[in-house]
Amino acid sequence: MIRSFINARPIRSAAGVLATLGVLLLAGLTLSPTVMAAEGNGRNPMELSVVTLEITAKEYDYFQPWNKPTRSIRKHALVNAGRELVTTAQNLADRTLVRAQKGGRGRWFNAEVKWLDYHANLAVVTVADEGFWTGLQPAPVSEVMPRLAEYEIIRWRDGNLETRRADFSKFTVGDGALSFAPRIQLELNTEISGLGWAEPVTAGGKVLGISVSKGGNVCLVAPWAFIQRILEARRQGKDSALGYFDFVWQQSLNPATLQHLKLEGDPRGAVLIDVPKTAGTDYALKKHDIILEVDGFAVDSDGDIEDPEFGHVMMEGLATRRHFAGDRIPMKILRDGKPLEIQYLLPQAKYSVDLLPMHSFDEEPEYLVAGGFLFQPLTQSYLRGWGDDWRRRAPFRLSYYAGESPTPERPALVILTQVLPDPINIGYQDIRSLVVEKINGRVVRFLADVEEALKAPKDGVHVVEFFRGDNLQRVLLDATQLEAATSRVLKRYGIPAASVIRPPRAAAAKS
Amino acid sequence: MSPWAPPRGNLWFCSRRLTHTAGPTIFAAVLRVILGFLALLVAASAGAAAPERSVIQIFNFSQQPVWDAPWRWQPVRREGGSGFVIRTPAGLRVMSNAHVVSWSRQLLVRRFQDPRPYQAEVEFIGHDCDLVLIRVADEAFFQGIEPLGFGDLPEVRSTVVTYGYPAGGEQISYTRGVVSRIELQNYVHIGNRAMLAVQTDAAINPGNSGGPVIQEDKVVGVAFQGVPGLENAGFFIPPEVIRHFLRDVEDGTYHGFPLAGLRVVSLQNPAYRKFLGLPETGETGARIDGIIDVPASREVLRPDDVLLEVAGFPVASDATIVYRENRVAVALAFQQAQHGEKVPIRLLREGKETKVELPLSVYAGDRTIGNQYDQPPRYFVHGGLVFAPLSQDYLRTLGRELGDTSTSELVYELFYTRHEKPDKLRSEPVVLAGALAHEVNANLNVRSRALVDRINGVRIEKLEDVVRALDENRGGQHVIEFVGKGGFECLDREAAAAANDEILKTYGVTNDRRL
Repeated sequence: MIRSFINARPIRSAAGVLATLGVLLLAGLTLSPTVMAAEGNGRNPMELSVVTLEITAKEYDYFQPWNKPTRSIRKHALVNAGRELVTTAQNLADRTLVRAQKGGRGRWFNAEVKWLDYHANLAVVTVADEGFWTGLQPAPVSEVMPRLAEYEIIRWRDGNLETRRADFSKFTVGDGALSFAPRIQLELNTEISGLGWAEPVTAGGKVLGISVSKGGNVCLVAPWAFIQRILEARRQGKDSALGYFDFVWQQSLNPATLQHLKLEGDPRGAVLIDVPKTAGTDYALKKHDIILEVDGFAVDSDGDIEDPEFGHVMMEGLATRRHFAGDRIPMKILRDGKPLEIQYLLPQAKYSVDLLPMHSFDEEPEYLVAGGFLFQPLTQSYLRGWGDDWRRRAPFRLSYYAGESPTPERPALVILTQVLPDPINIGYQDIRSLVVEKINGRVVRFLADVEEALKAPKDGVHVVEFFRGDNLQRVLLDATQLEAATSRVLKRYGIPAASVIRPPRAAAAKS
Repeated sequence: MSPWAPPRGNLWFCSRRLTHTAGPTIFAAVLRVILGFLALLVAASAGAAAPERSVIQIFNFSQQPVWDAPWRWQPVRREGGSGFVIRTPAGLRVMSNAHVVSWSRQLLVRRFQDPRPYQAEVEFIGHDCDLVLIRVADEAFFQGIEPLGFGDLPEVRSTVVTYGYPAGGEQISYTRGVVSRIELQNYVHIGNRAMLAVQTDAAINPGNSGGPVIQEDKVVGVAFQGVPGLENAGFFIPPEVIRHFLRDVEDGTYHGFPLAGLRVVSLQNPAYRKFLGLPETGETGARIDGIIDVPASREVLRPDDVLLEVAGFPVASDATIVYRENRVAVALAFQQAQHGEKVPIRLLREGKETKVELPLSVYAGDRTIGNQYDQPPRYFVHGGLVFAPLSQDYLRTLGRELGDTSTSELVYELFYTRHEKPDKLRSEPVVLAGALAHEVNANLNVRSRALVDRINGVRIEKLEDVVRALDENRGGQHVIEFVGKGGFECLDREAAAAANDEILKTYGVTNDRRL
């Protein structure tokens, strides 16, 4: 049965809370045997194509990274051809058990995730038990997105398929729920609460997309057109990793700026203001280039394009509209007043492109306890421990790093997050949230560096130095007592292991 | 869990931590309540002097600047406060709090039970110690008033009586309390200095400040602030700080309290103590962890020096000294000296005991991090773009926006660059504080709250650089680049120059600059 949500500590968003409540309502299911709806008896044929998933997953406590509390949620999945269930990737990370149920009630079948892509926010789930598929049929889908249609949102509620109207608002380009890769999204306006759990959105009896999130009255939906392209690439065995534009641009509404950049005619195009510092020689763009056309679409002065299907949307969406990472996207640009045609190599959206990775899925949080000092990598996952508004609530100095990109000198950061009191660390118990610069003279960027550095104390002491700044600079620990102290701390605070460390390279290259 | 517990014995940041680490919303007001006046009901002892005759009521008609539109002033406010008459080498004066008379347009004083207001003016003001000396030109004012004398630091648990003119009535009010404790406190008027203060349990009413705290007919303090959320806790400025202020102004100029600029931390870890050559469990010795850009301190002291004795006070391992039976932060030992004086220090360096003398001086390098007073803010307006120096006062105008990602560059620049990237520190970072809408600037995307990096290629170190960079440009456009993700804006040079006068007139900006 559904487990308590009490363990679910960081609440992701208001939408998440509402959605959670919705799922709690969903949980009031009866245990009576499933009776599959027969077609043609006046019931919604979607009953045969929409199923419920129950997912139990670890939800790590980054303030006590050795803890592995779990939480269970329920969401929807859509029956697709080839005995596959399609759903969003949300809540599938660090899963321990996935089960599927058809007809909104009755037996739960063990399910298995066959494929998933967090950046695309898509997952394919299957069920081995033949009996599950009896009576189910693939959902009719449509890649065409009519604007004037009557949109409906479908979900299982208390064993019945609920169908409710939602109003079309617009198409928009934005980040994914789990990724910064931009994509086209359908915005529906609705007062239905508790959405965002992969509820199918239909019009005219066909599925047009899957809900991703809800905030206020706005429900964001991943359009089937976007989903289909990725599933198709996967089916054909192609690389379907999403790309993104790694440059920063600003609008070209200011005629004086365009004059300065020698653009004649009406204001148009996106003005490049920042290109990645690590960009290689192959990088085709330069600061202060004006991007006039991307992939055949003219870019206007807002940085929008006119999409024949989706209307006026931000050009960033073209990163995932018809391409995958590694493709070359043709662009027309103006550089120093001269038009140029370039091929932009679309980089892959990976969490490791940020100094503080946005997520770290399907692996335990790393940490190292030494003499009561708790060292952890500084990541956005850690900062989310302060809640959804961590950018305001987490220590300013730490969250400020979230805007930075990794460099060869600073590919990642390790912080001393707290000190678990023990005789060895008397005098240091109040230390919190300090970025480590060196230990025993060795530069520290990854936890493995900490582990390595602690093997080489000098003169019987470990010297821990912190980043230069408005904070404590240096502490010393007794090296001869360290091992004994660590054992003592692990025992006293109920910590199962002194460390969880992955090799730094893997950490750096990991998406 | 409180992840931002400040380390103890932090010499120069105590105050900053209080206002900053709790997250930028803090700038606003957490500690800004300046309560005044403890007023204690006194059973006037028979036959004793009548100190109330020397207690003065102060009316300050003040006007504060608008930090993000620096040519404008806020509405005039009438603020009330108290003061008391003392004798200085230059004659009789009224002593009060600096915050009572700040941003004054007109200052009036009134005697005990005397209806007549007298014009007064500030003679010396110490914003760091929140004290002021007020001169009253009309000699009639002081007639019949006995100046009050100063006593010593009162002992904890002893009784004090406070005189003043708090809110809730028109006449003088008295309250009595005991001295609860004595230690260094953040002086909220300036915001980034911590000095000795005495806590008392006298009932505190917001309203007036600057009134005398009296024990045995002597002034033992000046009531000055409270802390919201703490009940029965008011604070007064002790005689130590008052005498320092009075000695300071003897040469006709107020310099301020010197700052050693040391981050002194406790030294209680046995391994660290042993490493530095101290007994593992001894009670003396605090460690210098860092030194800010105070040249004399950097020359004489270095990190990992162990302070054993400062100005004759033994330094304990928790970075404190005992001052008249009160355990207070070691910073106090440095604050006794005047600007330009030296303080003797006995320290342990690389295992050897050494004696040094540290010259002390006033430090102005963190002026913009504290609250600024009386000097109207600097600015420059061109083409409707308003340029202003980055300061704590400016940041406060951002209100709720402070803490948004969009303002993080400002916070970083003001508070962290000096410590983390001192080589990149600008003497006066400049913010595009706003744009006075006009067709020459209407199409700018970036309109405010952006830290200016360069203008026409010139790196902007201070406001004068903005003027120069714009003046010297001969190109068709002014190019203004911002710190952060490299955003920039252009302004048509000739159109901006041509529109300047009209913009100033339209928006009531009487002068395009205050430099």
